[in-house]
Amino acid sequence: MRQAEAGLKELIHEAEVYEHNAKRLYIRIPRERLTDAAKYLHRECGMRLATCTGIDTREGFDVLYHFSEDKTGTMYTLKVLAPKDDPKIESQATWFPAADWIEREMHELLGIDFPGHPNLIPLLTSDTDWDKTKYPLRRDYERRNEAHEL
Amino acid sequence: MSLTGWELAFAFVIFPGFAFTATVGLVLTWVDRFVSARVQWRKGPPLYQPFADMLKLLLKQTVVPAGASKVTFLLAPMLGFAAMCVTSVLLFYVNFFPQGSFVGDLIVLVYLFALPPIAIIIGASASRNPLSAVGASREMTLYLGYELPFLLALVVPVIRTGGAIRLGDLVLAQQAGGPFLYSVSGVIAAVIVLICIQAKLGYPPFDMAEAEQEIMSGVLIEYSGVPLAMFRLTKAMMFFLMPCFLVTVFWGGLASWWAILKLLAIAVLIILIKNTNPRFKIEHALRFFWFILGALGIAAVILAFMKL
Amino acid sequence: MKDPRIWGLKKSPWVYHVAAASCNNCDIEILELLTPRYDVERFGIVLVGSPRHADVLLVTGVINRKSLPRVLEVFEQTPKPCLVIGIGSCTCNNHIFRNSYNAVGPYDKYLPMHAYVPGCPPKPEAMILGVVKALGKL
Repeated sequence: MRQAEAGLKELIHEAEVYEHNAKRLYIRIPRERLTDAAKYLHRECGMRLATCTGIDTREGFDVLYHFSEDKTGTMYTLKVLAPKDDPKIESQATWFPAADWIEREMHELLGIDFPGHPNLIPLLTSDTDWDKTKYPLRRDYERRNEAHEL
Repeated sequence: MSLTGWELAFAFVIFPGFAFTATVGLVLTWVDRFVSARVQWRKGPPLYQPFADMLKLLLKQTVVPAGASKVTFLLAPMLGFAAMCVTSVLLFYVNFFPQGSFVGDLIVLVYLFALPPIAIIIGASASRNPLSAVGASREMTLYLGYELPFLLALVVPVIRTGGAIRLGDLVLAQQAGGPFLYSVSGVIAAVIVLICIQAKLGYPPFDMAEAEQEIMSGVLIEYSGVPLAMFRLTKAMMFFLMPCFLVTVFWGGLASWWAILKLLAIAVLIILIKNTNPRFKIEHALRFFWFILGALGIAAVILAFMKL
Repeated sequence: MKDPRIWGLKKSPWVYHVAAASCNNCDIEILELLTPRYDVERFGIVLVGSPRHADVLLVTGVINRKSLPRVLEVFEQTPKPCLVIGIGSCTCNNHIFRNSYNAVGPYDKYLPMHAYVPGCPPKPEAMILGVVKALGKL
């Protein structure tokens, strides 16, 4: 068992580890423990945050934080689930600048709220020509209804 | 020799003034593009290309940016252009009638050659654009850089002729005793003036004021149509007149048929330096001009005093 | 006075490259076009650094809600007469981004286009053909 994996399971008892192959691990944790887990992986284990991804699934919004251990080339992915009626995840941008723009993008495209984020304004969509209540990457977004006038 | 009104008008407008200098200058820019193309193993543009560029620019819309000071913006190109017309008349007159030159016309020429960079700085500052302000500050710094060794190098022929600041005396001394280039101090001074010509024309490695990739054509970013044509024409005329100046002061004067070959040789040298060098940073350029070329200039002056 | 203008524009088209939300593949091909291997300077084509010096705007990329006002502003800053040539299939019909929430349709809804060069990305030879055809139509 890897040292980081062991330390994480000791820190968070509810963590479930799924090993896809020798270089990729997926660890599901409850969303309240996200900051502790991320800080542990970054500060104690020396990993860097590679990227974050979000996806709209039947159970809710699944947000993945990919940490890369550059010494061995292994990816540790933290998976947190935010239910559809309460899509809030604690913002990691307060202590980790790399997550700043990624969380802005997830907020404007998926509608996930990140309380504590210093600057949660849209990043990619237009500021003049876009309806901010529409979230394009959700499953129920229909592009064919989108009219465009100049 | 005094000229009547009609003769003066002919001199300023047709030969050797605006029309002659502009045509030869544009042909020299074609030589520039042709040699650059051959250096890069490709065919260059056809001979009428610079004239097509000028014609196209003269017939395009002129756009003045909102908030720019209109009069300064539109008149700045005329400053450099007028200076070059006057310079051409002065240079050719001094070369063919050396007795007619007046005391201090070397200094007048130095001031006239200083006017095109000043016109560019004025025009860029009147453009109300932060990138052109950066370009203007770079052009100003560069000007402070190369004027020092340029003046030091020009002192060398003056010392060699025993203190005459008349271009006519310089030309006559070279016709009598051989060009100043055929001496150690002369060679050093000529090389310094050649590098300063490269900087004055704004060619690589000293094109940081008009850097295309960095600051989007810095000084000329807001210019279009007729003012842009005037700036480019001024640059073309400078590309002809500055080698003429070098030949006049160092290489025997323009009053012989060999002068055409000498001019072409200097132009090709400038083009080759232009094609083989990356761009300097402005701090490096300043240090290069003041410390390296300045030291060389002082060495040339000392050698000139020792009659070498 | 039409004829000298057209002759000048045909013989010395200065090119400015506008990348509006492209994937940069067409941008790389345009840079390849301007290398000595294809020698477009024979036609008088020179890459300029400012839209105020340009005669031909090479636009690439699927036009975006965010980049649309900016592309229109660049077009307005270019002194007329000027040609606009769309490089790449994204300019013609949004190509693979046709179902995107952000892509707002082919360029000729907003700009007067003179030529389209389809391809993903188009070869430099195809781009030369497009520019020459657009100039020949003048």
